[in-house]
Amino acid sequence: MDRNVCVVAGGMSKWGVRDGSQRDFFQEAAKACYDDNPLMNPKDIDGLLVASAYTERTSYQTHLAPLVAEYAGIKPKNICARVELLCASGSSAVILAFGLIKSGQADVVMVAGGEKLYTPQKWEVFYSELASVDHDWDGGQGLGLPPPAFAMVAKQHMKQFGTKKEHLGVISVKNRRNAAKNPKAQFQTPVTMEEVMSGRMIVPPLTLYDCCPITDGAAALVLATEEKAREMTDKPLVYLLGTGQASVNNMSANMPDWTTWEALKIASAQAYMKSRVNVDEINVAMTHDCFTISEIIEMEDLGFCKKGEGGFFVGDGQNDFGGRIPTNTDGGLLGCGHPFGGTGIRQGIEVMKQLRGDAIQQVPNATFGLTHNLSGFIAAHTVLVYGKEVR
Amino acid sequence: MSTPGISILEGKYMVTMDLFPQQSKEFNQVTPFYEFLREGRFTTTKCKDCGAEPFPPRVMCPECYSSALEWIDWPTVGTVIDVTEESVGVPLGFGKPPLIHALVDLQGKRTFFVRIINCAAGELKSGDQVKLAVFDVDPVPQEVGREVVQIPRVFYAFEPVK
Ligand SMILES: [Zn+2]
Repeated sequence: MDRNVCVVAGGMSKWGVRDGSQRDFFQEAAKACYDDNPLMNPKDIDGLLVASAYTERTSYQTHLAPLVAEYAGIKPKNICARVELLCASGSSAVILAFGLIKSGQADVVMVAGGEKLYTPQKWEVFYSELASVDHDWDGGQGLGLPPPAFAMVAKQHMKQFGTKKEHLGVISVKNRRNAAKNPKAQFQTPVTMEEVMSGRMIVPPLTLYDCCPITDGAAALVLATEEKAREMTDKPLVYLLGTGQASVNNMSANMPDWTTWEALKIASAQAYMKSRVNVDEINVAMTHDCFTISEIIEMEDLGFCKKGEGGFFVGDGQNDFGGRIPTNTDGGLLGCGHPFGGTGIRQGIEVMKQLRGDAIQQVPNATFGLTHNLSGFIAAHTVLVYGKEVR
Repeated sequence: MSTPGISILEGKYMVTMDLFPQQSKEFNQVTPFYEFLREGRFTTTKCKDCGAEPFPPRVMCPECYSSALEWIDWPTVGTVIDVTEESVGVPLGFGKPPLIHALVDLQGKRTFFVRIINCAAGELKSGDQVKLAVFDVDPVPQEVGREVVQIPRVFYAFEPVK
């Protein structure tokens, strides 16, 4: 049995520095997801995968999936478990739901992801990040929060390829402008190139607007067999077509290359091959803009432009509306924020809307879209290809 | 100047809040790495069967899956490729900003992204030499029978060769 898999509903809580608990945000996300498709009966959901990376550290809660099921008002009978891959937890859960549905282990699976990252004292959030890298080797070097690593990536990319600080700024301005039109995004105000260029220094060359924030919030997506999807929605069907996830190293000393992300090249090749969709056919992309430099390298290693040309590609408007590949049309991590487990699901929701044709800022006639996450010390990459048609 | 290994625990030790690895043999099988560090040596495990030198040190070779490993010395002096200085978001326990890191070519063994101590902001640049710097960090109160024994620990960074 090898069945087609569709996305039938998706929604998210308001993201930001939020009042409330992790379980509050999961309820808000479930509610938004149910409201997205009133034809769907949540009682038909037979599986739940919950994506959360910091639930134990910042909410002191393990065994999270049954808790979320209880609060979301669903009673899974085929799978009810949590998935963790830090910043890619959400898209990892989507991949697993895809496999379960495709193979007949489940018919309708909710994937819900989110975090309450802010603790009553903020220092604890930064401190907890030492668990995100190889704790015993990179954590002890103070490499928990990622700005030093991405500053080094940016420095090397600038040195090798002539990428400019202004190229980084183009990404900040674009993604904050998109977020300002997305009521669920953390940041509701656009920023100008002047503000970006004079932003507070974090780790040179990265300034404030080069870095995504720390965020509370959750998101939820429901996937189903094509057969069920036809009964569950009257909106255009959106298919999940193929995925790839690769890891070639974990500790920083084993990174093959700081400016060419080998695992991303592998993951995207797998996703393009399995979806039978060529990179040239992709119309819209949500990529992991944890830092501005990340989105530039992702344009290169996903294959949208040549190696080293990413800065000039984005500087030329090629990953904005009207360009080759509109990217992070909902604001991305830089604009929406980044509650780790929620991000891959937020990306899936935006691609679903773009392919259905009801996005807030619509890419005309989008037929194929992709999402990308990186996680850890640039240690794993995850790529998912969605489409309006099956190949 | 940054200060290595400042205690933030104020007498209330919690393993889940610890910046540094557990180093006693009861909690770690690469204890020799830390014992060698005390002697100023930077070591890893080499596979006796295939010759691979994985880092971090292992109990199994990730290339040929052999368990026949031996400890070998690696260089303790490397060359700076580039430097970053973190002024915002430095985790507690890593001193006052900036927290300095450098990408260091350890004589072709690996390219390490490591903390630099005993170094002023703006002092280090590409091409400079840095050397291993070992310092004491908080001991771990560990139960041994009915007693609680303080297990001393060390960790490492690099510092400019002056
Ligand atoms: Zn071997």
